[in-house]
Amino acid sequence: MKIPAAVQHWIVPVVVVAAWEGFGRAGMMPRYLPPPTLIAGALCEVVADGELARAVATSLYRVIVGFTLGTSAGMLVGLGAGTMPGVRHFFDPLVGFLYAVPKIAFLPVFLLLFGLGHESKIALIAFSCFFPVFIASRHAVLGVDKHLVWTAHNMGAARATTFFRVIVPAAAPQLFTGARIGLAHAFILLFAAELMGARGGIGPLISEGEDAGRFDLMFAGIVTFAVLGFVGDRILMTVRGFMLRGQMIGTIEEAVR
Amino acid sequence: MRAALLRHVERWYSIPLLLLMWQAAVSSGLVESRLLPGLGRVAAALIRDTGNGVLPYHTAITLGRAAAGFALAALAGVPFAAAMARSALLRNLFEPIFFFGYPVPKIALFPVFTYVFGIGSPSKVAFAFLECLYPIVVTAYLGFRAIPVRLVWSAENMGAPRWAIIGRVIVPAAMPGIFSGLRIALPIAIVVIVLTEMIGDSRGLGYYIAISGTRFEFANVYAAILIIGACGFVLDRGLLRLRRAVVHWERDGERAL
Repeated sequence: MKIPAAVQHWIVPVVVVAAWEGFGRAGMMPRYLPPPTLIAGALCEVVADGELARAVATSLYRVIVGFTLGTSAGMLVGLGAGTMPGVRHFFDPLVGFLYAVPKIAFLPVFLLLFGLGHESKIALIAFSCFFPVFIASRHAVLGVDKHLVWTAHNMGAARATTFFRVIVPAAAPQLFTGARIGLAHAFILLFAAELMGARGGIGPLISEGEDAGRFDLMFAGIVTFAVLGFVGDRILMTVRGFMLRGQMIGTIEEAVR
Repeated sequence: MRAALLRHVERWYSIPLLLLMWQAAVSSGLVESRLLPGLGRVAAALIRDTGNGVLPYHTAITLGRAAAGFALAALAGVPFAAAMARSALLRNLFEPIFFFGYPVPKIALFPVFTYVFGIGSPSKVAFAFLECLYPIVVTAYLGFRAIPVRLVWSAENMGAPRWAIIGRVIVPAAMPGIFSGLRIALPIAIVVIVLTEMIGDSRGLGYYIAISGTRFEFANVYAAILIIGACGFVLDRGLLRLRRAVVHWERDGERAL
């Protein structure tokens, strides 16, 4: 008998969760890994008393503003670097050096510059998003088929027309790839910054649960954080699918999705 | 000769320019020197802590951990990706884990890792392993799946035995994909190690940054940032060289910043 693929997809997660629950109930799991049903209970608890909603709102505010600022800056400068050699030569060495530096290393500096409130986290998230988005946008423009650009020029298109009607659409898939990497960076930075000193947000929720020995609460925060990151990515991918309908047909990415 | 010199100036001027602006801003007293120490003080901190062995000690620890996590992920991830590309069962079982899990911010799980593996090196290496595993497996998997089947057919037609097809056709054809995954994972390994060291450890560059930041010794923070940037840059260049040697038939996609 052959198990359908759709069922096979669920085997590993279901087995893991079931085993976790079973061993947990049997008392064979360490205390810091509470069974999934307890985590669900804790999740309901924080949802009911509104604590979760407040934490999510705070974290989302930080990540959305930071991501938007960093990504728009990265795209603008990246597109500029792709089209203008002067901009490219200015930013390439800087980005090449700073890209490999964990942006969280600047946390002490940002804390002192922007204070302990939202601003330091937002600035750090934006700073961190900028780099992958810049690199992807820059590469995207340089990778645009030269024939397309020449053809447009040949037909008398103005520079601005060529840029908006030829270069940007042709580079769009990679612009989204850059934004996607930027979003992943944004969530990592959000978590690290919140864990290392912030009031409000999901990070403190997790560390408070940990400090109080309420590991079910800690996991409730972890699950929420994971879900937020996942949903954010899905939203971005849905927007991309909508904006690039027709462009993704026949690519590997379409095939595996 | 002069043209080559000019080109070098054009390509690299931004770093010295920015350093000059930095120094000018500090010397003129525009920014508080405690926050942005002058270049001289950063250099002094760098030389002092390199001379007395503090920075080399922490750097060695950070790089060792990053290398361990990265190497483990590469050794486990690439064969696993190959197996996933080859077997429909493995694919159905694990594809959702990797493709749905990819955008989930795994950093939220780090507190759990510290409980399972302890707060020293093991939890950090294990976490770097997990973070590196995702890009390596996903990218290598796409690389294995994108191999044109006619390459395999041609080899079969010419009477190549199975091991020769795997060793001389499939693995080389997947190499570009494997290397892209490694190149994504390498900075992730460094970032993750520094980040987790900042969250909680008493060794490593992340700890050094965190402790210097709380002591308001920002010259030391910048010194550590310089070292991390240099390490990331050198390692990435090394990986590119390796790629050029291994994938000598393909030049596309290797363009670095």
